[in-house]
Amino acid sequence: MNTSYAGQLLIVDLSSETIRTEYISPKVINLFLGGRGAGVSLLWDLVSGSTEPLAEDNALMVIPGMLTGTSAPCSGRTTLLAKSPATGRYLKSNIGGWIGVSLKLAGIDGLVFTGKAKHPVYLSLSPGQWQLHLADTLWGQGVRATTHALKEKHGTDVEVMCIGPAGERLVRFAAVMASYYNAAARGGIGAVMGSKNLKAVVVDSTMGQLTIADPDGFTKVVKQARKLLYSDSIAEDLHKFGTARDVDFLNKMRILPSYNFQRSHIHGEAQKLSGRAWPALGYLKGIVGCAGCIYSCHRFTRIDKGKYAGIYSGGPEYETVASFGSGCGLLDPEPVFVANSLCNDLGLDVISTGSVIQWAMESVQRGVLSHADCDGLDLQFGNGDAVIEMVKKIGYRQGLGDLLADGVARAAAQIGQGSDRWAIQARGLEQSCVETRGAFAYALAFAVNPRGPDHLHSECLAEFGGTKEGRALVKRIAGDEKYAVPNTEDKRAEIVRWHEDIYAVSDALGLCAFTTTAAYSLQEELIAQLLKTATGIDLTAEALLQVGKRIITLERCFNLRDGLCPEKDDVLPWRIMHEPQPDLPDGGDPMTPERLKRMLSEYYRLHGWDVHGLPTQETLEELDLAFTLSELTDAYAKCGSEKEP
Amino acid sequence: MLGKLVVDADHCTGCGSCMLACSLAKEGKFSLSLSRIQVTRNEEIAEFTPKVCVQCREQSCIAACPVSALSFNEATGAIQLNREVCTGCQQCVSACPYGGVHFDKGQNLPLICDLCGGSPACVDACQLPQAISYVQDATEEEER
Repeated sequence: MNTSYAGQLLIVDLSSETIRTEYISPKVINLFLGGRGAGVSLLWDLVSGSTEPLAEDNALMVIPGMLTGTSAPCSGRTTLLAKSPATGRYLKSNIGGWIGVSLKLAGIDGLVFTGKAKHPVYLSLSPGQWQLHLADTLWGQGVRATTHALKEKHGTDVEVMCIGPAGERLVRFAAVMASYYNAAARGGIGAVMGSKNLKAVVVDSTMGQLTIADPDGFTKVVKQARKLLYSDSIAEDLHKFGTARDVDFLNKMRILPSYNFQRSHIHGEAQKLSGRAWPALGYLKGIVGCAGCIYSCHRFTRIDKGKYAGIYSGGPEYETVASFGSGCGLLDPEPVFVANSLCNDLGLDVISTGSVIQWAMESVQRGVLSHADCDGLDLQFGNGDAVIEMVKKIGYRQGLGDLLADGVARAAAQIGQGSDRWAIQARGLEQSCVETRGAFAYALAFAVNPRGPDHLHSECLAEFGGTKEGRALVKRIAGDEKYAVPNTEDKRAEIVRWHEDIYAVSDALGLCAFTTTAAYSLQEELIAQLLKTATGIDLTAEALLQVGKRIITLERCFNLRDGLCPEKDDVLPWRIMHEPQPDLPDGGDPMTPERLKRMLSEYYRLHGWDVHGLPTQETLEELDLAFTLSELTDAYAKCGSEKEP
Repeated sequence: MLGKLVVDADHCTGCGSCMLACSLAKEGKFSLSLSRIQVTRNEEIAEFTPKVCVQCREQSCIAACPVSALSFNEATGAIQLNREVCTGCQQCVSACPYGGVHFDKGQNLPLICDLCGGSPACVDACQLPQAISYVQDATEEEER
């Protein structure tokens, strides 16, 4: 294979404090590309079904996308991988900011951390040089202080990726943070980093260089891609008002998860929770882009007046606002900004943090948790100060925060009294803020997402039919625009399958999901041209999607090896499957197991998986994944496949 | 005569797309240090400052050059560098009041924007923020 993508990995064994380089094999690159693709393949080999997520033998990987570091639009993304402390299974978590671009410019295509350091350490690297340093004085520091200290020592131009106190304390939804406010948030990747005594990674790429296969050809394709992305229906709005721009609209549409998914709208006027309102309200102080992004959807906000005056941070994003705002019953955006700022500094996933607090609030509402259980906090829906205090307690594992820090599934198992019914989680991960009783493709996608129920696996925005690009896509993959409606079972499997594949390809190349599955302008033909001109790897559009399918299927195999049983595990949170949501415009029946099963059957069929949701031998062979078969014997026996290999 | 680059730092989002586009256009590879436009970033407070040659009237860089390696190209409207003559003394870097001249230690040469012959690569990468625009009749005030 002739490619300009070197695939150089830095393998850092923290136990022996040794660092060596190794190259991703051409075979792996050909089959899986970079980022999440190479990542899942490498992780399959590095860990086993019996690896404990917080034990020394888990691996932590940081793999920028194959196009990351180039001027391909919105290509600055990086995938972090490990076994998840939340689910005990496969975890990929994606991060923006500058860390991936810096690694690539420094000549590194991926970092692999194994073992556990005896003392807290951090890694510094620049082109051709790398070193581990003691991090004793950094341990215990927040993300902001850690970043300051490392920039002071290594220069203001270095990029810093680190954990905060939450990662050190092994909070099962601790995030890894980079560029101050960007997060690889979901699934507890920050706890894995903490378990390895690894505080930070510092990259100096100022003198680095990255070459590509065909600069002139690449320049032309990039220009074409940018033109399409600029003219996409969502472009201008996303740039001006960010991901939280339409919270008020979603509330009026009654599809905004509220009060721990008890309602799908918040009582009162939600206008101030919308990003669209923040410029006029004076909160918006800057618009920020990840490296190489042409959309710049990230916000920088600060509160100037009142009791929270002086609080500033990156974000909040839609999920943050829904999780701490409508989810916790807050109409006032200011406590949301404060909770967001705390999560960024403690290194916490905003979705899970908000979800566990909502669960505690509902437990108080139902009399399952007392005032004393909540350390004296008045944990009622709508109490912003209590939310803020609880975020701190979770980050530092204090009081009730220590219980919540293990995630809502474990908290509910410990408290009992039926509280698992309002624990909005499946397979150990808290669901992101999408009302899946009213969005059927999302529901299906959440049920099969290998890391748990969230949107960052196949964001199926097109099913809402909100943009002409989304409707055109649905027509292309389902045959008719009429399927661009969220409340039907029809064609959901087709819609999810396309989104899964393109999303996996986006992650492998480092493209932001907003280029392919929110904006729909960057589709497989153009992506194939970007890949070819950048790396020399020449794939047809069809072959590119096949890489996506291969990644998804290996992730499935990974979880099967780890004990996943589709019949029991391809599910949604109990509330979503068993309780109606009468707020919803169209009735709001539960996403019942029967309904889900009908969509799953079609989904399995499209994948070439058997009726029980296990890939067949033929499918594995067709995808060059037959190497997994010897490790799936238990899964086939346990989960009752009719087509055992 | 070609137009000018107008920079509005308030609109810069710190994405660095301009730097990646510039280094590819001018050097055929991606490198932050080889870009003619340099964005200093303080992400903590979202403060981003792009600095690039804005084709000013003062042309302090030309005046400062002890070996006359820099000249104004009437046809392109941009400063041009005679690489053969340049000694790499960096007087032009110090002289520019806009911080618009950068220096490549590798080649020991200053990096000055040449407007890409009238279609600046950086501008195409900044269409939504519009922190960098290419205008035909910019006034000195706008340049700042």
